[in-house]
Amino acid sequence: MIEFDKASVTYPGGVQALVDLDLIIEAGQLVVIVGLSGAGKSTLIRAINGLVPLSGGTVRVDGRDVGRASGRELRAIRSRVGMIFQTFNLVKRTSVLNNVLMGRLHATPTWRSMIGWYRRRDIELAMQALERVGIVEKAYVRAANLSGGQQQRVGIARALAQDPKIILADEPVASLDPPTSHVVMRDLQRINHELGMTTVVNLHFLDLAKVYGERIIGMRGGRLVYDGTAHDANEQVFRDIYGRSLTADDVLDSPAA
Amino acid sequence: MTATPLQADAGRPIRPPRSRLLPLGLVVSAAITWWAASDDFGVGFSLGEIIDNLTRGHRVLREVLSPNWAFFPQTVDPLLETFKMAIIASVIGCGVALPLSFLASKVTTPNSVTYLVDRGVLNVIRALPDLLYALVLVTAIGIGPLAGIIALILFNLAVTAKLLSETIDGVDTGPSEAAWAGGASRTQMIRSSVFPQILPNYIAYVLYVFELNVRASAVIGLVGAGGIGFVLQVQMGFFAYENVAVIVAELFVAVFLIELVSIRLRRRLV
Repeated sequence: MIEFDKASVTYPGGVQALVDLDLIIEAGQLVVIVGLSGAGKSTLIRAINGLVPLSGGTVRVDGRDVGRASGRELRAIRSRVGMIFQTFNLVKRTSVLNNVLMGRLHATPTWRSMIGWYRRRDIELAMQALERVGIVEKAYVRAANLSGGQQQRVGIARALAQDPKIILADEPVASLDPPTSHVVMRDLQRINHELGMTTVVNLHFLDLAKVYGERIIGMRGGRLVYDGTAHDANEQVFRDIYGRSLTADDVLDSPAA
Repeated sequence: MTATPLQADAGRPIRPPRSRLLPLGLVVSAAITWWAASDDFGVGFSLGEIIDNLTRGHRVLREVLSPNWAFFPQTVDPLLETFKMAIIASVIGCGVALPLSFLASKVTTPNSVTYLVDRGVLNVIRALPDLLYALVLVTAIGIGPLAGIIALILFNLAVTAKLLSETIDGVDTGPSEAAWAGGASRTQMIRSSVFPQILPNYIAYVLYVFELNVRASAVIGLVGAGGIGFVLQVQMGFFAYENVAVIVAELFVAVFLIELVSIRLRRRLV
């Protein structure tokens, strides 16, 4: 369970990315956060694993206060929260397997990670994660030699290898083409259903949000402006979230196609 | 095609005024160069002087152009000593430089104290030339390769840490964010996401430093710090330029060979 209690983030320079946010995400939910860029979606997601510190209020993950956690405690919280990024964030020069093994660092002693000698059990977990996203045959290929969609699946495998309770995905399909976007979103949906991991996804495409989100949260100017089911999120709701009428740019699959 | 200026101009921005900084900078640098070279204020640099004195060195030139190859066997052991010194100094200097480079980059350093202290120490080490280190160390611990090795280690440490910390500044920080998000410690983050990115550069710097060391041994040997430079100093003292020529030729070949090997190695690594 993720609990935001009056959470605020003000960046140096005065930009308010989160304003007194109250939000509870129950375990096992698949939540899609929508909003324009700059609405605070990325900040919200990064507040959950403490990559962005709060300037006010609290965020709790399974009851543990992220802001109060010391270095070791924070790493323990992060180990239970896998993260997927818009730009994949892979080390391109090294193998797919080494990238996925980054998800096992939290369970690996420093001396072992220094010489790159991971335990057999951790390598097995990394391989299983790659099998789950269907690219285990690429384990020893350099990450740079993979297509964008394949790289994002390596990113998902890296998060899964952590064996997390929660998956955060920050615009996971924004760098991908439409068919690949659906593949990646279906992977996330499947992980949520089969493994029961709480999944929080930032999206800016409304049609993807409606198809994959059980619950949709609308952000605007750092505030929560909508919280409801995908079914109830009609065009008027999205107009409120976006503060303007909708255009073809707001959907992934254009109606003509 | 006829131009329709009125229509084309509509909505176009006016060109912003050009910066005068570049022409000003060029004028200022020209003035400083003239000042440094002039007879009245500077060192009195003139190409004419070189040409006037060219004939004076003709004995040296003639002997250098006819090397005494019989001298070659006497240079083999000192040349090997130079290589050994360069290997030891490169391995130790570049090895110590690696962790210090991580402390000297904002991307990987734990806090501003470690950053500033490490930068300060490296700047102090780099401020002194290797020849001066050799001179001081020969006085302190005596003539021989040990003084040379330590001088080279300090030099290698400073050069490698400078180049490497700037390389670290430029790495893609996306993978580091992923490592943090996965619960990695700073050491693990550096090892898993930064180190693989800088490895090819690091190896290139180690090879470059090794090459510099072989060349530098000619200079630091002059003050008694061992290697081929020591032989060079003795032969120059005897004005035996035909022997000096042999040493210069050997150094030329050595540096050339190292360059060949490092180009091949780098090509494989990238």
